[in-house]
Amino acid sequence: MPRKPKKHNHSMRHRLVTFSPFGRSKAMATRSRMATRGVEKHERQNKDLATSSLNGFKYNMKDKIQQSDSSDDEEFEGDVQADFVFFDPKLSDFHGVKVLLQTYLDNLQWDLSGFVDLILGQPTVGTVVKIENDEDDGVYSVVSALSLERYKASSCFLFCVFMDSKCVLELKDFLLKVCQDTDVLGKLKSLVGEHAQHVGLLVSQRVVNLPPQLLPPLYDGLFDEVGWATEDEPTKELRSSFRFKFYLIISKIYKHKNADQNRGTVKNGEESVIYNRPEDEIFFEVPSGMFSMLILCYQCANLTSIKCFCSLAHGHSVFAYMHSRLLLMRQLKNYRPMGLVMAVEACKISSFREQLHLLIDE
Amino acid sequence: MCRFERLCSSSSSLSFTMATRLQYENNCEIGVFSKLTNAYCLVAIGGSENFYSTFEAELADVIPVVKASVAGTRIIGRLCAGNKNGLLLPHNTTDQELQHLRNSLPDSVVVQRIEERLSALGNCISCNDHVALSHPDLDKETEELIADVLGVEVFRQTVAGNILVGSYCTFSNRGGLVHPHTSIEDLDELSTLLQVPLVAGTVNRGSDVIAAGLTVNDWTAFCGSDTTATELSVIESVFKLRDAKPSALVDEMRKSLIDTYV
Repeated sequence: MPRKPKKHNHSMRHRLVTFSPFGRSKAMATRSRMATRGVEKHERQNKDLATSSLNGFKYNMKDKIQQSDSSDDEEFEGDVQADFVFFDPKLSDFHGVKVLLQTYLDNLQWDLSGFVDLILGQPTVGTVVKIENDEDDGVYSVVSALSLERYKASSCFLFCVFMDSKCVLELKDFLLKVCQDTDVLGKLKSLVGEHAQHVGLLVSQRVVNLPPQLLPPLYDGLFDEVGWATEDEPTKELRSSFRFKFYLIISKIYKHKNADQNRGTVKNGEESVIYNRPEDEIFFEVPSGMFSMLILCYQCANLTSIKCFCSLAHGHSVFAYMHSRLLLMRQLKNYRPMGLVMAVEACKISSFREQLHLLIDE
Repeated sequence: MCRFERLCSSSSSLSFTMATRLQYENNCEIGVFSKLTNAYCLVAIGGSENFYSTFEAELADVIPVVKASVAGTRIIGRLCAGNKNGLLLPHNTTDQELQHLRNSLPDSVVVQRIEERLSALGNCISCNDHVALSHPDLDKETEELIADVLGVEVFRQTVAGNILVGSYCTFSNRGGLVHPHTSIEDLDELSTLLQVPLVAGTVNRGSDVIAAGLTVNDWTAFCGSDTTATELSVIESVFKLRDAKPSALVDEMRKSLIDTYV
C-alpha cells in the first residue's frame, strides 16, 4: 500500500538548472536553503499500531534569514527546495538504510543486512527521512532505538537459533574488542552483558548535508516513540524492552593529532575535536558526569576511502554525500578519525532535547 | 603424483556448485568489483582476501583469476567489458594496468584500450561470446571495435527504457537476466536478438541493477550475499547452472578416464 503522508501547503519545487555533474555536486554540497515557510509540525493523532504506518510527518523547512535573501537564492541557482517527510521504517527501505549504515562499525565484516532488518522490523520506534515525491525513494536519514536485550540471540535449546540476532552479538564483540581502556571495559561489559535489558542502542545516521533543522523534531519523535512504546506495545516483554535506562551511541569524531599531547601545539583557531554531528557535541563535550557516563574512543580505519560504491539507482543522494565528504577530508588533514562510543543515562534525555533545540534553533 | 591422480583429487574437491553468494567489504554489489568470463576472471584489489579467495576456490583450476585495477579504481566490473575473446578497457586505464592485464590473461584474449567518451564500458556494454548489447550513444568506431575485439555482433538497445544496458542486464551463452520491469514484448525481442532465454528478475533482495549484483559465466555465477533464495533459484535456472560443468575440464577428465579403462 503506498504511503500517504499528510499534505499541507504543498510547496513549489523547482529543479536545478545544472546539467553537468560538477554543477550538480556543487549545488548538492552546499547547505540547502529552504523555502520561507513555517515549520509545520503535525501532531500524531492515531498512535495505535494499526494506522501508525500511514502517518508521516512533513516538514517544509523555514530559513531564518530574511526575505531579502531569496533574491540571492535565485542568483546562486544552487539551492534546492525540498520537503522532508518522516516515515516509519518499512521493509522496502532496506537498500537506503543499508547504505547509511555501511560504516557503522568501521570496516568490520558483519551481518549488516540482519541489523538493517532489525531496524526495519520495528515500525513503532524509529524514523526514516525521505524527500516527498522523490523518484529514487532515497533514504536521507534513519534513527532508531534497539533494545539490546530483545535482540540478543536466544540460546539454542531446540536448534532454533534466531539468526537475526547474530548482528547484535557481532556488534557487542566489536565494542568489547575496540575498548582498550581497562576502566571503561568493565563498565562496557556490564552494559552489554548483565544490564543489557536496560540498554537501548541509539542508531542515528544521515547524509552529511541533511539540514540540521530536522534534528530536533527527529530526536523528539524518537524519544516520544520510545515513551509511547512502553505503554502501547502489545506484549509485556515488548513494553518492558523499551524501558531504557541507558542509551548506547556509536559515532565518529575527528580528534586533532596533537590534542592528546601538549595542548599548546594545537594551533589557534583549530579545535581539538571536530564532531560530525551536532548532537555528539552535546553528549560528549560536557562536564564529565553530566550526560555521558561512558566515553570510549577507538582508532578508526582510514575513512578517506569512500565506501559508497552503491548502485546507480541511488542517484544523487549518495553522490552528494560523497562530494561533501571529499570537501571535508581536505580540511581535516591534521585530524585523525576516531570512533566514539558513548553511554548516556536515559533520565538525562530531556535536558539533551532542550540543549539540542537551543543549539539548532539559534 | 601423475597428472591423472592430480585431476582425480582435484575433481573430488571441486563441487560443481552453481551460484555462490559473497560480499566485498560489506557491500553486496559484487558485479562492480569483479568481471567474470569464460576465459578469465578479474577481481578488484583491496578489501579482505576473502573476496579473492572465494573466486579462486571456484575457478582456480579452470581459468586464471587476476587481481587488477582500472584507472586506479576498484570498480573494475563497471569500467571494462569483455568475453572469452577479448577485453575492452576505458581510455583512462594506465599503461601499467594495461600491461599487467596483457601479461596475466591468456594469449587468446585480446586486451584493448579504447578511446570512448563513455568510459564506464561495463555499464554501456553487455555481452557474451557471440552477441553484445550496447548503449545507444556509443561511437560508431567503438561499435566496430567491440565487434572486432570481442568477436561479437553488436546491437544498440535499451533495456526497460534504460540506456545503460550493461547495468540492467547480464547474459551468458546459456541464458540471461534483465531488469524486472522489462515488458514481455521487449523480453521476446531481446531474446530473439541474443538467441538465449531471458528472464526479468532481481538480485540482492530486490535491486534492479542486475549486473552490479551478479557476475556470471557459462558454468558458475557469483552474486551478492543479500540475494534471496528465490532470486538464487531463478538465477540458477535461467543460466542453466545446475547441470553445467566447465567443458575444458570435462574433456580432460574424459581423456584420462578412458586411458585407465584400457
